[in-house]
Amino acid sequence: MIKNQLVIVLTIILLVSCNKKEEPIVITASDFHESVDKIGVVMVHDIFSPPVASRVFVYPNIAAYEIMAQQNETYLPLENQLTDLTAIPKADPSKPINFKLAALIAHIELGRRLIFSEKTIETYRDSLYQIWRSKNASEFMASKEYGLEVANFIGVWMDKDNYNQTRTMPKFTVDSDDPSRWQPTPPSYMDGLEPHWNKIRPFVINSADQFKPIPPPPFSMEKESNFYKELKEVYDITQELVTKGDESEEIQIAKFWDCNPYLTVSRGHLMFAIKKITPGAHWIGICQVACKKADSDFDETVYAYTKTSIAIADAFISCWDEKFRSNLVRPETLINEHFDDNWKPVLQTPPFPEYTSGHSVASGAAGIALTSIFGDNFAFDDDVEVPYGLPIRSFTSFNQAADEAAISRMYGGIHYRAAVEVGVKQGRDLGKFVIENLEMKSNSSKNNQ
Amino acid sequence: MNKYIALIGLILVLLGCGHKEGELFKNPTSKTTGIDFKNIITEKNDLNILDYLYFYNGGGVALGDINNDDLPDIFFSGNQVKNKLYINKGNLQFEDITETAGVSGNSTWNTGSVMGDINGDGLLDIYVCAVVGINGFNGFNELYINNGDNTFTESAAKYGLDFDTYSSNATFLDYDLDGDLDLYLLNHAVHTQESFGRSDIRNKRNFQTGDKLLRNDGGKFTDVSEQAGIYGGANGYGLGISIADFNQDGFPDIFVGNDFHEDDYYYINNGDGTFNECLKTFFGHTSQASMGNDVADINHDGRPDIISLDMLPEDEKPLKSSEGDDDIQIQKLRIGHYGYHYQFTRNMLYINQQNGNYLETALLSGIAATDWSWSPLFADYDQDGEQDLFISNGIPKRPNDLDFIKFVSSEQIQKKIINTKLVDQEAIDLMPSGKVHNYIFKGGNDLRFEDKSGNWIVNDTLVSGATALGDLDNDGDLDLVINILNNEAALYINKINSKANFLKIKFDYPNPNHFGIGTKVFSYSDGNLQYKELYTVRGFQASSEPMIHFGYGEKEKIDSIKIVWPNKTYQLLRNIAVNQTLIISPENTKPFDYNTLRPEPEILFKKVKNNLGIDFKHEEDNYIDFNRQKLIPYQISDRGPATAIGDMNNDGKKDIFFGGSKHISSKVYMQTDSKYIEKKMVTIARDSIKEDVAAIIADLNNDGKKDLFLGSGGADFYNQMKPLLDSYYIQKDSTFVAAKLPDYFENASVIKANDIDNDGDLDLFVANNTVSNDFGKIPNSYILINDKDNFSLAKNEELQNAGMITDAIWNDFNNDGVKDLIVVGEWMQPKFFKNQDGTLIEVNLLDQKLNGLWRSIIPFDIDKDGDVDYLLGNWGSNTRFKATSKYPMKMYYADFDLNGNTETIVTIEKNGKYYPLLGLDELSGQLVNLRKKFNTYEDFGGKTIDEVFDKKSLENAILLEVHELQSGYLENKKGHFNFVPFQSELQVSPITCFLNYDFDNDGKDEILAAGNYFGVIPFHGRFDSFSGAVIKSKDEIISGHQLGLDFAQRSIRHLNIISLNSKPYLLVTINDDMAQVYELKK
Repeated sequence: MIKNQLVIVLTIILLVSCNKKEEPIVITASDFHESVDKIGVVMVHDIFSPPVASRVFVYPNIAAYEIMAQQNETYLPLENQLTDLTAIPKADPSKPINFKLAALIAHIELGRRLIFSEKTIETYRDSLYQIWRSKNASEFMASKEYGLEVANFIGVWMDKDNYNQTRTMPKFTVDSDDPSRWQPTPPSYMDGLEPHWNKIRPFVINSADQFKPIPPPPFSMEKESNFYKELKEVYDITQELVTKGDESEEIQIAKFWDCNPYLTVSRGHLMFAIKKITPGAHWIGICQVACKKADSDFDETVYAYTKTSIAIADAFISCWDEKFRSNLVRPETLINEHFDDNWKPVLQTPPFPEYTSGHSVASGAAGIALTSIFGDNFAFDDDVEVPYGLPIRSFTSFNQAADEAAISRMYGGIHYRAAVEVGVKQGRDLGKFVIENLEMKSNSSKNNQ
Repeated sequence: MNKYIALIGLILVLLGCGHKEGELFKNPTSKTTGIDFKNIITEKNDLNILDYLYFYNGGGVALGDINNDDLPDIFFSGNQVKNKLYINKGNLQFEDITETAGVSGNSTWNTGSVMGDINGDGLLDIYVCAVVGINGFNGFNELYINNGDNTFTESAAKYGLDFDTYSSNATFLDYDLDGDLDLYLLNHAVHTQESFGRSDIRNKRNFQTGDKLLRNDGGKFTDVSEQAGIYGGANGYGLGISIADFNQDGFPDIFVGNDFHEDDYYYINNGDGTFNECLKTFFGHTSQASMGNDVADINHDGRPDIISLDMLPEDEKPLKSSEGDDDIQIQKLRIGHYGYHYQFTRNMLYINQQNGNYLETALLSGIAATDWSWSPLFADYDQDGEQDLFISNGIPKRPNDLDFIKFVSSEQIQKKIINTKLVDQEAIDLMPSGKVHNYIFKGGNDLRFEDKSGNWIVNDTLVSGATALGDLDNDGDLDLVINILNNEAALYINKINSKANFLKIKFDYPNPNHFGIGTKVFSYSDGNLQYKELYTVRGFQASSEPMIHFGYGEKEKIDSIKIVWPNKTYQLLRNIAVNQTLIISPENTKPFDYNTLRPEPEILFKKVKNNLGIDFKHEEDNYIDFNRQKLIPYQISDRGPATAIGDMNNDGKKDIFFGGSKHISSKVYMQTDSKYIEKKMVTIARDSIKEDVAAIIADLNNDGKKDLFLGSGGADFYNQMKPLLDSYYIQKDSTFVAAKLPDYFENASVIKANDIDNDGDLDLFVANNTVSNDFGKIPNSYILINDKDNFSLAKNEELQNAGMITDAIWNDFNNDGVKDLIVVGEWMQPKFFKNQDGTLIEVNLLDQKLNGLWRSIIPFDIDKDGDVDYLLGNWGSNTRFKATSKYPMKMYYADFDLNGNTETIVTIEKNGKYYPLLGLDELSGQLVNLRKKFNTYEDFGGKTIDEVFDKKSLENAILLEVHELQSGYLENKKGHFNFVPFQSELQVSPITCFLNYDFDNDGKDEILAAGNYFGVIPFHGRFDSFSGAVIKSKDEIISGHQLGLDFAQRSIRHLNIISLNSKPYLLVTINDDMAQVYELKK
């Protein structure tokens, strides 16, 4: 049986290689979208927390971008623009390198390294390799060689971002005696995620605390205090939403932007996980929606993903820096303690300190980055969450979507107002810094926009 | 080659000929017995393990003679199938009389079934529990009153027992001793919003889920739960129930095992119709997902011991792919914040100690891990006089499979659950099977059990649940009947027959308690006590034949049998022949004095009121070592505080110094004429940032005044941080002045003074235990030579690198008149350094490899042969660690992921192979790349250490070993030493300190040993049940709870003798707790 199959395969290979002439390999934007999607699906399966997910997105994009920029003068390489990134190896002009193909190969390769379940990516990769090889073996081999060389180069740079070191750093120590301090929340009381994410090397921002937001309202359970009022506001909003019901706009918004990669559900004898994409992944999805709507070509698509994912990655570093600085307790802890011990937020409280809202910071930054690429008032239909059973929502601009993503966290009962409002500002300030300091398009091309 | 073929042929032949039999039990099938009951459960889209959490718990089984022909009959309850009643016709032939008897049942979902004489007419009735009111389950608990003619009349409503709640089982007891049988109804909670949260949910009664105590008021049962103090909350996941007179005051008490997060309940009967739930007082910890439980006296002390089952797998594959214990921070939250008790996911064996806590010994007894376990039944199956243990096992699907929870469930079921609330069979099929064989253990002495599964019984592949005991073939030994899920019920017929002797006792007690429920029997033969108390509802969802059974091995005569009736009278039978069934009625009874069961212990120690003014409470800081070094085997930061005794104000009276933990200052208590008074010592308190782990008070500068030397540790400070420096304070007038020391940055463990160089001043041995953030690295320990005003470090590389030292003594082991040094420590063997002209030279005096996790050492002639032996405190064998000299516990120490920080990987042997102790989540929490190597828990499960890590990185790692975990002593054999372990009672916890003193004033010194230790992750549990012991000789060791010591659930650090008005007292220093002071009663 196996022998027979082998014969058939060999025959096919022979036939293919004999009969087909070498033809150029054409790589389009949709090939790149597909690679982004594949890695995204594995990320959901493997369960990456939002900050780690932002790292998984960004490095493959950078590798692809740097290759693409070798060939297209419109785009400026990121060497010396991103912390510690030097020029990638130059391509050998004597070889028939297809730079788009090399970019895609580098993207897949770094994605494979960053996720856990490599098999899915390997299967995908190998089937593509098979096709490309059959189309044009020499072009494929040359592109692959260069793509992997750059992937290795970026990989070396990536490995020095302190991620590995932060794995061994201390876990967050819970101090449930201090009422202002964050503590694990129901239902699964997970440890505080990534307490050392501020030690990850940033990309464009100078340091994790460059966009350190104003402190949250001082903790106080005095009824007149701002903090108490904000706590009460969260409680009141969800109480109101309970009466309005699941169909209310606010609950729809909260659920649409939930973006919780690991939601624990208790059912029968089980507690099990329901998994969705992260906030960063949602914005990568919006980037894809925009690229498709703008009919961006391969190079422009790679550029858009790269810029957006850099802004998001820096946003998480900045946000996590503040989260484990202010260490603020979540509304659920206090509401259960003081108002109603059966109260549950609309969304499940994610396992890290409250201030500032991660989704708000990431959305703020991503909105600015996307606006810089596609322009303001770029209306789009966001269908990113459809595979997760959620509807399509339409927005008139990226910044409008970011505002909605931010306020969704209050409707969801997992953030106070300050975390949302200050958070989205933090993200936008950071986003502006990123787009102002990144020179990704040459001046001549900028003028064309 | 031919050999193999022959072998295979032989195996085939063996398999082919008939079905296999165990050595002790055979399993006849329905073809010969006629018992064809099958508890078939049918999964539906709206009824399965995801909809109903106890979908796989199975039905019930009850054994008893319903037609008074002296042959026990069998009743099975079915979950979805009809109940069945089989009449025993003798010779293991049974007849199904369900239809004519009218007991097939009407409820949708039946659970436990029990036999008992509810109406007091001497005939066994049948009570069948049901789950009603969820998942469309209808009906009520049914009560079949025995009409005496093989027919029954359902009469639950008439008796007030027709509950439509979530019942799992019920049991009979006469809690108010009014002569009739009352009922405890065990109900179970389901996961709802209300069932999670603080533990005090249990105070808020919930009709459906709450347990009920039902008082028999002349044939009508009244719910007295609330007034009796029985919890009935939304979080009572009641699966196990046992009745026994645990505290032996004549009134039956109640033990309830609760599944999931709710604590088990231990109700002590106050004798006035009320109960006092006091689990936390008497149990240091319990099983977490408690299932069935059972009671028997397993150690011949006449007190009922308890087993409670959980679901810890023994096999590596399910072990590593099932959800385990909580994370340590979650545990802290659950206990500190939500009010629950310590619970761990393994079976627990609780040894009842009079006036004391329960000694929990499941791990050292060898019965902690029996996988998905339902029903434990203690009985003397081989009739050798020791209680053996049967455990029924198995679940069709493992809902706690980590791959299912994290990877499979969501992708397969997510949408369905969210959108339709339905789950299809396909999704359920993705859970791995948990069909684990039943276990049987042979009871031995010293609290140990031997696994006889696959030997006494054939290893089955069924899902066994409720199990009942009885003598089905009337041959005197005990048989088992098991209600099997989706298969024919199983009979285990005992074949010991005449190979060992027995006695069966049945009671003919006056109605309404004809069967004598609650009667106690003490059997004495050749000084050997066996004790039983008759309660028929045992194990899980079942009731056994109402009789008492004892085994006697080859003994032909029983010296006496004492029967204590429920009404607190007793009668004595003498010279009883074995191998008969006695039917006993009360005759010539006399009042029984329960005080004789609780003799006043001979108290040696008595707590002193007000602690003589020593109101010292040690507070441990919040630092958790595992947050920084996630894979280390135990903490280091909790080894304090230091305690030192000495005259600190030069008034001739000895005072007390207590070290403080990090950022908490030390304390000094000065001895006055009437009490101890705290005195602020400003210069010393200034160094409060340091954690004082070791201290001595001694005249170090030879000025006639005592000075203070402090060893700092705590494992939090690292590298060259100043708080790691030890401190030296010289007493000047009334103050202490800091003096210079050489710089060395180490975590101190012990300081011992001795004039090593014989120059008239005291030199010091300062031992260190660990390197902060680099566990596994050997710290430096030093000899500090006293040169008048200065200490200097002596060169001694052997001693400097001796290991992770925990304790040391200066003792002349070679009898040359000069004190030598012995050090003990962790991952090392006791090391002997002889003092040769002021130089310490290591000599090997051990005849075996003896690396241990040693914590303490003291010299003592324990075998009374005139030479000095050394008692050694070790980790104990009541642990998930495992070590022998053949298969040492191994710890690999290296920077496995090359990120600049080292890791330690502990591995233990199982069936000849080494496996990492911890699971994928723990390991990959530190070594992320393992998640790439092992995408699923199934991939990881069953992988040996060589498969988890590559060979090269293991070879490059430093290997540390432990060969012995037991505490014991080094027996002096003419200057060489041989290790002898202590008995089991001293192996339940690490022994952390010893004290030598003549406590009982008999002119001879004894050793007081103390311990317990909590610095481990929940995976290991909590070493909390050692109540200390006074060691008089190797054969005379008295447990602390019998002597008045209150050490259980406390982690003892130091024992010292202090005095006041020249009267001696025992001072006990406890980590994170109040110090205790005892007066010596003799």
